[in-house]
Amino acid sequence: MFRLVNATGGYGKTTIIRDVSIAVMRGEVVALLGRNGVGKSTLMRFAIGSIPAMAGHVEIDGKLAPAAPERRARLGVGYVPQGRFVFPRMTVSENIAVAAAATGHDHRAAVTAALADFPMLRPKRDDLAGGLSGGQQQVLALARALATQPRILLLDEPTEGVQPSIIDEIAGILKRINAERGIAILVAEQDLDFCLSIAGRAYVMEKGRIRMEVDRDTLRADTALQQNLLGV
Amino acid sequence: MAPDFLATVLLSSLSSAAILLIATIGLAVVFGLMGVINLAHGEFLMIGAYTALTVTQAGVPYVLSIPVAVAVTMAIGALVEVLVISRLYGRIFDTMLATWGISIAFYQLAVLTFGTVSPGIGMPQISVQIGAYSLAVYPLLMNGVALAMLGFVYLLMTRSVYGMKARASIQVPEMARAIGISSARVNTMTFALGCGLAGFAGAVLLPIVPATPSMGFAFVIKAFLTVVVAGPVTLTGSALAALGLGGGASVTASFLTSVAGDAFFFVATALLLWRYPLGISARWRRKL
Repeated sequence: MFRLVNATGGYGKTTIIRDVSIAVMRGEVVALLGRNGVGKSTLMRFAIGSIPAMAGHVEIDGKLAPAAPERRARLGVGYVPQGRFVFPRMTVSENIAVAAAATGHDHRAAVTAALADFPMLRPKRDDLAGGLSGGQQQVLALARALATQPRILLLDEPTEGVQPSIIDEIAGILKRINAERGIAILVAEQDLDFCLSIAGRAYVMEKGRIRMEVDRDTLRADTALQQNLLGV
Repeated sequence: MAPDFLATVLLSSLSSAAILLIATIGLAVVFGLMGVINLAHGEFLMIGAYTALTVTQAGVPYVLSIPVAVAVTMAIGALVEVLVISRLYGRIFDTMLATWGISIAFYQLAVLTFGTVSPGIGMPQISVQIGAYSLAVYPLLMNGVALAMLGFVYLLMTRSVYGMKARASIQVPEMARAIGISSARVNTMTFALGCGLAGFAGAVLLPIVPATPSMGFAFVIKAFLTVVVAGPVTLTGSALAALGLGGGASVTASFLTSVAGDAFFFVATALLLWRYPLGISARWRRKL
């Protein structure tokens, strides 16, 4: 359903990822693992169209994806960036509403639905997003991405700088939206336990390339691999 | 000091601040929501003034000439954004140079079309008596106009979908596109809006500031400094900066000379920027 073919990209003249091909099937949860600086975030930004392709392309439902990120968003690609990047001088409600409106959905209904899905945001609905805690911002970034009614959700390091209780909550939410709404998920992470708890299989990256593809059970059993590629 | 004199000075200074704010809001919107400094802002004001003047001379009531001025300046603004500004995203100095060039072109065009002197439309001759002094009503009305403009922009930016998209686009551009916002279309709209506000200002100030090709220069420097002093929380910041700088300059001018008023404006600006390099609103937690 969502496929990167020979993706090669980076910043300026520096190539960060080379020849990366991955696929996420309809309703599947896939993890993208690897140490810091192997190119996971660059791969995510390639996937949403934020950085230009030096080579390779992205396919959605077997068709070539348009180049502009806003058009990919409207085709159902949702994105939760590393570092969250909520709109700081907009309220929690507005962060959600603007995402729904921009993808052609009813923004009032989207806010109501999001506040029902994420009770934690309810008391903060009229607060500026810039004043929320890291964990609250992470949940808001997720709610914002869901307001675009995506078919695939790309999450970049959703557990970074988030307290353990909220990490569990995020894992629960992701499992639920995957099961109930059939939203496919590609999650880039360093937190192995978090990934093992939600993803069925994983790609492991090293130096800007896909080193291997493993299923959950193999990864869980293979401590040597965990040591070697992930440093855990 | 006589209380009637003091009241007159305060009221007329308040009006001066309001006039500065009216002339500044369009620039503040474009800078605050696009990060673009439109040095042709003054010329859009001039185009608004000439449009209102031409339409009035053709026999249309003055009040109805104002929406025409807004429509004309918005259309020209949209054209300029698509043809020039959109090619210079993220290049703030190149945009300043380009808009400066546009301002010179518009100025010359106005000189060729209208000549350097043109008739004013005359201020409505209504005034109020305060003690021994009489004060024209039209400039006082500008306080209400300034408030109405502030209210309009605030509501547009906070209540409309366009406003949310525009704010999202300036706050985190990459994320705005990633959730489906066409920044290009939003920016065209924002620039047109800023130019339309300038056109409105030119038209509504026409009875006070007659249309001349060079009228833009008089406004753009102070408007520009007001926006820079205001900082990232554009709307509230600009209102406060206009009140402090414009009002302060006017009070100073009333007691001393108009040169002293200008000196106050520029010295106060320099001091504020020295104390708040990113503008007075850099640390505020507010929407606009």
